[in-house]
Amino acid sequence: MGKSTVTTKDDAHALFHSLRAAYSATPTNLKIIDLYVMFAVFTALIQVGYMAIVGSFPFNSFLSGVLSCVGTAVLAVCLRIQVNKENKEFKDLPPERAFADFVLCNLVLHLVIMNFLG
Amino acid sequence: MAKISIATVFMALISLLLTLTHSFSTENPTDRRILVLLDDLALKSSHSIFFNSLQSRGFELDFKLSDDPKIALQRYGQYLYDGLILFSPTTERFGGSLDVAAVLDFVDSGKDLIVAADASASDLIRSIAAECGVDFDEDPSAVVIDHGSYAVSGTEGDHTLIAADDFIKSDVLLGSTKIEAPVLFKGIGHSLNPTNSLVLKVLSASPSAYSANPKSKLSTPPSLSGSSISLVSVVQARNNARAVFSGSLDLFSNKFFKSPVQKVGSSNKYAKSGNEQFVTELSKWVFHERGHLKAVNVKHHKVGETDEPAIYRINDDLEYSVEIYEWSGSSWEPYVANDVQVQFYMMSPYVLKTMSTDKKGLYHASFKVPDVYGVFQFKVEYQRLGYTSLSLAKQIPVRPFRHNEYERFIPTAFPYYGASFSTMAAFFIFSFVYLYSK
Repeated sequence: MGKSTVTTKDDAHALFHSLRAAYSATPTNLKIIDLYVMFAVFTALIQVGYMAIVGSFPFNSFLSGVLSCVGTAVLAVCLRIQVNKENKEFKDLPPERAFADFVLCNLVLHLVIMNFLG
Repeated sequence: MAKISIATVFMALISLLLTLTHSFSTENPTDRRILVLLDDLALKSSHSIFFNSLQSRGFELDFKLSDDPKIALQRYGQYLYDGLILFSPTTERFGGSLDVAAVLDFVDSGKDLIVAADASASDLIRSIAAECGVDFDEDPSAVVIDHGSYAVSGTEGDHTLIAADDFIKSDVLLGSTKIEAPVLFKGIGHSLNPTNSLVLKVLSASPSAYSANPKSKLSTPPSLSGSSISLVSVVQARNNARAVFSGSLDLFSNKFFKSPVQKVGSSNKYAKSGNEQFVTELSKWVFHERGHLKAVNVKHHKVGETDEPAIYRINDDLEYSVEIYEWSGSSWEPYVANDVQVQFYMMSPYVLKTMSTDKKGLYHASFKVPDVYGVFQFKVEYQRLGYTSLSLAKQIPVRPFRHNEYERFIPTAFPYYGASFSTMAAFFIFSFVYLYSK
């Protein structure tokens, strides 16, 4: 019995270490994108928590704030997919083109948010 | 032929003009011309104190026998009199064009009425009273008998002469001076429907009274008994016409005015009965010398402004004012009360405020328009016992905020504003970092 718990703990440690090792092998630009996505999701969670406390009074402002975070995260994820060299599907797409699409989409997103923010 | 008819038409028009200048008007609500119908001209002298007191207060009394064929309440569509006194309890039919419907139309047009019935009241008088909400005892031979509250007299009577002192408590109806002596009454009693809010018992019988034939033995319990018997009642109609119904014609007579009274069982002997004071005060009320209110000058405006806007916005502060005066018999005096309320009403009152007065007749209240938009009314509904009812309504629309009247930045939304701008900044910083990192 003691042996099985030690084994599970060992397994968890081993899993965590292998994940960490694999992740540290990713290129720097992808890690930057990941950081950006984490920031956006974290901001979205804070806003949802605030709305749960205070209530949804200016609902349009709430939607605008959450949408800006979620939209940013989605666009960043799309950029990561398109720029990742290990992704066979987007082998022929130049990363500059992917970044340009990303910038344009973000401009449209922020235009919409500024209008909807009230 | 033509000349005579022109002359008669001319004379008729002149007399009509004269009657119009002397009639009731809203500026002078006290009635002026009163038609008195008697079934016996001897009543003119046997009730002379009452009639003289009316005439000394400025009323013009027109005495006619009740079956006089020349009786006419109105001519060419205009009423000739402002008040009607029916001292004709035994009359079965009025002369001229007067009947129950004509008397009721007279009251419906806002004019006043005093009706006195007696022990032999006819169906005509009973039906006039019944239409006004006063039900006399159906037994034609019944009178009010009271073995516990009769007036002590020299002869051994059958206790139909009652000394009544159960008055309604109202300074408007009976004056501010208390009537000390009991009122002598001899006649029939009536009952009122308790759900009827327009009729009031001014003089009730004592709990030991009952309505029965004094000459025959009672075989069944009497239908009317106790304090539910009303001896004198008043009716104030919704159009503010006033009527007094008395079950005794002798209540108004000189004999009862002047006679001393002592109620059985009490040791107080009064040299003069309370009849004259009671009748005088009641006649002042019924002919609008007292308790007649008018409300003028309804004004409303936003706090800080003076002119009336055509529309209000929600959450505005506004002030409402109205002036209420009471007729004192000769002039309009400011009415002072602390229970006049104004409602801001749309299907139900959103705001109900008691108005404060400056004791000179001006009532004002200030409140905030509720957070609901629509078409509202400023309503003042004032009904107090004995006073004319005031029913004022002034419509005013209320609009919601215009799009530029909202607060520009909502404080509770600051986190959302912050988040949106922070994602924009993050995007900007990210794109620099992404492009310029090796």
